[in-house]
Amino acid sequence: MKAAPVWQRKDTLWLAVWIGGLTVLGLWDVAFLNRPALLRLASASWNTAIIGCAVVVCAFVFGWSSALALHALDHAGRRWGYFVVTFFLNLIRSVPQVVGILLGYVVLTLLIREEMVGSQTTQLMAIALVISIFVFLEVTDLILERIRYFRKLDFFDAMLVSGVRESRIINLDILLRNSRAHLVHKAIQLFGSSVFLLCSVDFIVSVGLSTDVSLANFPPTLGGLLATMDSKQDILAISTVLTDPLSAPRLLLEHLQGISTAFTIVFTLLCVFRMSSAFVARRRLE
Amino acid sequence: MHRGRTIHIASGERTLVAIDGFAVAPQQITILFGESGIGKSLIAKALYGILDPEELTVTIDGMSYEQYRSLPETQQLQAESFFVFQEPSTHLNPLMTLHEQLNEGSLAAAPHEAEILRRLWSASLEEEVSALLRLYPKPYRPSGGEKQRMLLAMAFKKMDAIIEAGKGKNSFFVFDEPSGSLDNTYRDVFLEMLFDRYRTAPMTIVLITHDYSTIGTIYEHHADLLPRMIFKELRLDGELRLHTFAPKDYLRWLDQLRPLAHASREAALTIEPEVHVHGRLLRITRDPQGREPCTMAVPYGGLVYLKAASGVGKTTLVKTITGLVRPQRMRARVAGQELDERTPIHVWRKHLWGKMMTLVFQHADEAFNLESSVRGVFAGLPIWRKRPAPSLDRILSDLMSEATVLSFLDKKVKQLSGGQKQRLNLVRGMCLDTTLLILDEPLNGLDFESAGKVIQMVQRKQEQGKAILLISHNEDIFDRIVPKDDIYYLHAVTSA
Repeated sequence: MKAAPVWQRKDTLWLAVWIGGLTVLGLWDVAFLNRPALLRLASASWNTAIIGCAVVVCAFVFGWSSALALHALDHAGRRWGYFVVTFFLNLIRSVPQVVGILLGYVVLTLLIREEMVGSQTTQLMAIALVISIFVFLEVTDLILERIRYFRKLDFFDAMLVSGVRESRIINLDILLRNSRAHLVHKAIQLFGSSVFLLCSVDFIVSVGLSTDVSLANFPPTLGGLLATMDSKQDILAISTVLTDPLSAPRLLLEHLQGISTAFTIVFTLLCVFRMSSAFVARRRLE
Repeated sequence: MHRGRTIHIASGERTLVAIDGFAVAPQQITILFGESGIGKSLIAKALYGILDPEELTVTIDGMSYEQYRSLPETQQLQAESFFVFQEPSTHLNPLMTLHEQLNEGSLAAAPHEAEILRRLWSASLEEEVSALLRLYPKPYRPSGGEKQRMLLAMAFKKMDAIIEAGKGKNSFFVFDEPSGSLDNTYRDVFLEMLFDRYRTAPMTIVLITHDYSTIGTIYEHHADLLPRMIFKELRLDGELRLHTFAPKDYLRWLDQLRPLAHASREAALTIEPEVHVHGRLLRITRDPQGREPCTMAVPYGGLVYLKAASGVGKTTLVKTITGLVRPQRMRARVAGQELDERTPIHVWRKHLWGKMMTLVFQHADEAFNLESSVRGVFAGLPIWRKRPAPSLDRILSDLMSEATVLSFLDKKVKQLSGGQKQRLNLVRGMCLDTTLLILDEPLNGLDFESAGKVIQMVQRKQEQGKAILLISHNEDIFDRIVPKDDIYYLHAVTSA
């Protein structure tokens, strides 16, 4: 069948809507938001996006490695090794993601205080690492499921008896050639969930769970920006529109920091969710 | 129907079939050969009017498919007809029992059901057939062979009903690979039942197959019908063409086949006669009746033929030898390497696979990563570690023309025809240069020309001193190139 044109692919369309929406918002902010707030918003948005992407990369590295290790231990008959790795992975699985990331933030704070994690780039990567530890099992499960499915097919055995190395069959033939769509879908999902987790945890931290863990120690992110006093007041200003509808235009001119932050988070999560669902439907991954 | 049709079938922008002058002779038996995946089934389905216009773009003689299907002659053709599909599972309704389907619509009043079933199974299995009729079809039960015989039973009931109503003249029957899941005994029963009915009332019959050994059976048992038979072959020579096939060419080719004498009696593979696997006891014997268990030895330079009825476990046995299936008990020796049920898998991986032994799988469709390119199929093979490394073009040219090789090196495997995949499957196995080569149904889906080339390649391997173990239902061919001493039989004795 002929591939549908780009504008008929809903996932691509949602990607365009996301990029377009954020561009329009950016232009609006450049025109109407004061410069210090604009810089804060830009920095928070970039940091959030960088962490989201880094989480995807780290989760794939951890997930891919752990899945291959489990598969190798299982098929080499090393029951103890398999048991130990599975136990360790299940231990991570048993920790609620938000709780795990909060604990990670505690460790990070200590490292920052000891100046072991200094530059902002290192801090961003460290945050991504913490989040990826609590999401990479989704990649592990997906890869193991794909390997398990394809192992049952004759082509796996046919390649083995032809002398093709098992690592090549798994990495190239099963994962890259036959599971690319599944992996891309998982990457979209992970990006969405990492943005959600980051914003949630940053917001929780900002309301003051601990005197040790403070957002002042961390690079600005959208979650942290949303939790500042200015942003909270901007959000509260929305309620005035209910009693005074004529004040709505003022929201878009005078309360831009909080509204832009909230919009960026919600709009990003919505678009990523839509992209993910449309990708599943188009590539028939259900 | 006898008028040549111009048929074009496309999926999106990809042309699947384009052929001019495709004709079926009325009230004759057209036997249509051609390698698997070349388009035989699609053409027959297009003519019959059962392709899905939502999925495919079909034009016949310049008409849209809707127009063609609304022609009175197409509708008449569908009224007194039956189409036996190649893949029986697609024909059977999973929500109805086989008995209900065997008596659905016009089949309900058709005569001779019991007799048809008795012949297609065997009288001694009558109880089993009754139990089978109560089943709802599932992917794994009834078996492929049972489903196929059930479809043939429906076709024969329909034929009998038409014969009784005296409407044979206008009827049209298509049998698409009707013996694909049957062994030679049942294939011959099917041909006998079909031709007996044709003798009673000549109908228009199209028999699509790539089993050229059907010719031998026809010449031996049904030669009286030869004047009423037309042999055709679909070939892709740049474009798809329908050629007249001379069955005597095939018979002459068969006559000149001879076994090669092998100098060595030293065995590359020996396997003790009893193998317990999957809870079954498989026994290798010298005689078809299974009375003389014996160790099977495949000598260097030898070609050994292992025979058994469908479903006995031939493929399971060779998968056990190749380490892909773990047996409960087995004793074998491959190129000096002792193998048994306790041998760890890394022995096969390190010493045997791709070096000392390989297996060419039965179904080429399932033996490849369909998302890989043809070049990618060869990329990970151990042949590239040899110096000097062989040329891929030269490897492929053994079974493909130069033009074909150039045009399809970068194609994805899923875009190849069934026959091309099977040739690729064989080339991959043979280029490895292993001491022991196991071939599981190597002629599956091949046309006559390719089958001839495969036999030459097999004999060349023998001359190079390679040991070959073979499984095939093409007894016509392999009985001629395998010495009688090198034929073994496999039996499933009892539950282990």
